[in-house]
Amino acid sequence: MPSANTAASGRPNGFANRINLQQYVVYFGFLAIFLFFAIVLRDSGFLTVRNLSNIVLQTAPATIMAIGLVFVMSAGEIDLSIGSTVAVSALAAAVTMNDYGLVAGVLAGLGAGLLVGLLNGALVAYVKLPSFLVTLATLGLFAGVSRSMTDLRSIPVTNGTFTGFFGSGAFLGIPSLIWWTAIAVAIGHLIYRETRFGAHVLAVGDNSRAAGVSGISVPRIRLTVLMISGGLAGLAGLLYAGRLQAAKYTLGETDLMTVIAAVIVGGTLLNGGKGSIIGALVGSLMMGMLNNGLILMGLSVSDQMIVRGLIILAAVAVSLREKSR
Amino acid sequence: MRKEVTRLALLATMWATTSVYAADGVTTGPHGEKPTPAASVTLTAAEETQIKDGKFTAALVWHEMSEYTNAVNNGAQDEFKRLGIEVVAQTDAGFDAARQKADVETVLAKNPSIIVSLPVDPATAAVVYDPARTAGTKLAFVDNSPAGYVHGKDYVTIVSDDLFQMGNKAAIAMAHALGNKGKIGYIYHDADFYVTNQRDGAFKATIGQDYPDMQIVAEAGMADPARSEEIAQGMITQNPDLDGIYVTWAEPALSVLSSLRGAGNTHTKIVTLDLNEPAALDMVKGGNVAALVADEAYNIGVTVARAAAGSLVGKSSQPFLVVDSLAVTKDTVADGWKKSLNKDVPATIADALK
Repeated sequence: MPSANTAASGRPNGFANRINLQQYVVYFGFLAIFLFFAIVLRDSGFLTVRNLSNIVLQTAPATIMAIGLVFVMSAGEIDLSIGSTVAVSALAAAVTMNDYGLVAGVLAGLGAGLLVGLLNGALVAYVKLPSFLVTLATLGLFAGVSRSMTDLRSIPVTNGTFTGFFGSGAFLGIPSLIWWTAIAVAIGHLIYRETRFGAHVLAVGDNSRAAGVSGISVPRIRLTVLMISGGLAGLAGLLYAGRLQAAKYTLGETDLMTVIAAVIVGGTLLNGGKGSIIGALVGSLMMGMLNNGLILMGLSVSDQMIVRGLIILAAVAVSLREKSR
Repeated sequence: MRKEVTRLALLATMWATTSVYAADGVTTGPHGEKPTPAASVTLTAAEETQIKDGKFTAALVWHEMSEYTNAVNNGAQDEFKRLGIEVVAQTDAGFDAARQKADVETVLAKNPSIIVSLPVDPATAAVVYDPARTAGTKLAFVDNSPAGYVHGKDYVTIVSDDLFQMGNKAAIAMAHALGNKGKIGYIYHDADFYVTNQRDGAFKATIGQDYPDMQIVAEAGMADPARSEEIAQGMITQNPDLDGIYVTWAEPALSVLSSLRGAGNTHTKIVTLDLNEPAALDMVKGGNVAALVADEAYNIGVTVARAAAGSLVGKSSQPFLVVDSLAVTKDTVADGWKKSLNKDVPATIADALK
């Protein structure tokens, strides 16, 4: 990785400076967009505590999914199935909870996510199929499963403990969705940066053959990252079900592209070897802030989509330039 | 077996949600409301002045954007503008209830006096709109209202199509195209969605009750419009002698049209709901499409905006307001476009009419 070497050597040339800039592009981008909206929308409620906390709450499920995707992409893989895993998990939790209670419901939701991850992981790690194709197939497969599970009906979630814990409640005055985001980011970051597993994930993504030669079990890493992604998508499903007090097959359908954009803008390489959990968090908040600010600007829906697309394109272009190996 | 159980359950749901009209042949609201013509919503000059002086604002929180939503959106925008109400935000939930909840929360930052919306999932929509209800925002809905919400207290009104009339007019148009006899294929929306369920049910009921020489010989449910071509292929392959096919709305009808063209079939007529340029062009050129039944979508927007504005000065509205619908054929296409969408007929169709 010449770029990393150049940056590490600290030579005071323009190239190194640009590398540093690229590493932090998500933070600069976040700040720039925030300042722009703060000025333009100063009288339109953007800066109210309520609106800003709404952004964090609304992006919580996407942020949690993004953490899983950082692990997967750092290992050089991709998980497209998260879009439908969310719905399957939310529905599994809702249906099970209505019949067997809170704990069974939560276990069913998380279990469904882990099972999807296990299936993806086994096919990628042991059958040696490319993750792009495997998860593209399971994306469709589980979209179908979630539709047929309840005949397209939405299932109400009435358990107050569940909805409080996963969606609409608060602890020490802080909404539960913010707790979930903070805990998931903290644990994710710790594992990613401070453990041997995290280092192995990056090694596999950087050069899987070299990682294998050095004694890392490459299949085990691939299986594990896809299970982490599935499990976190399952957790995102629980959060949606808690927030909406209902589960439906459409949950998460529109999140996939947002999550991928958040992760890439946040500094994770599409082809592995480098990533950032904190960057993904900021990337996800940036996406949420964009949605929020463009609506508050009073733009028509079409104009919102065009502007959002252009800003994401710019952010991805800056963060990806020179990074690809 | 499972499929059969699924079908029965779905039919039961459809029957439960559509049984009322079958008895008396009128559209009923999602909660059994009696329909009132949209034209009943009027404002006096004094009320309009009071509204204009109020410096009110409105947000439009849509379920998804389509040609139909666009027309409703334009009607609402124009009426709000006429009444001096500023539209401060509009959103598109992409048919995702979670996103619609986020949209409601977001637009509330601008403290709108009114939110006009179409709930993605009425059964669970109370959670979506509760923040607005708590904030005292006037809620006015298109097509449906959240379960548990009370008319007059929690929301102003529901404005919708005359759904029975649409399905009924589609059946009459089909009979007209086939000379009151023939074999029909019926492609319905296979989802628990009140609007399409009522329209589809009304078509079927009208054929069954009023046209003894017309039989529905093939039925297929469509849950995902992207899959409609496969459904149409299957139906046409199994029943090459169909005289007509009813399709639940225009977008999947285009897939049926392309399947018929692919099979070299010029005999089978298509009747569907909503105006759509390619379908209308085929109709004007004497192709398979025989009629398009459209609602006065623009008028839905005007009505819901007017009712919501009236509520700000203490004027109440009936719980379920319906606009008229019209069957558009080759001869009436230009008028129909104007009435339904408040737009001139597209240039391609105008050219083909010459």
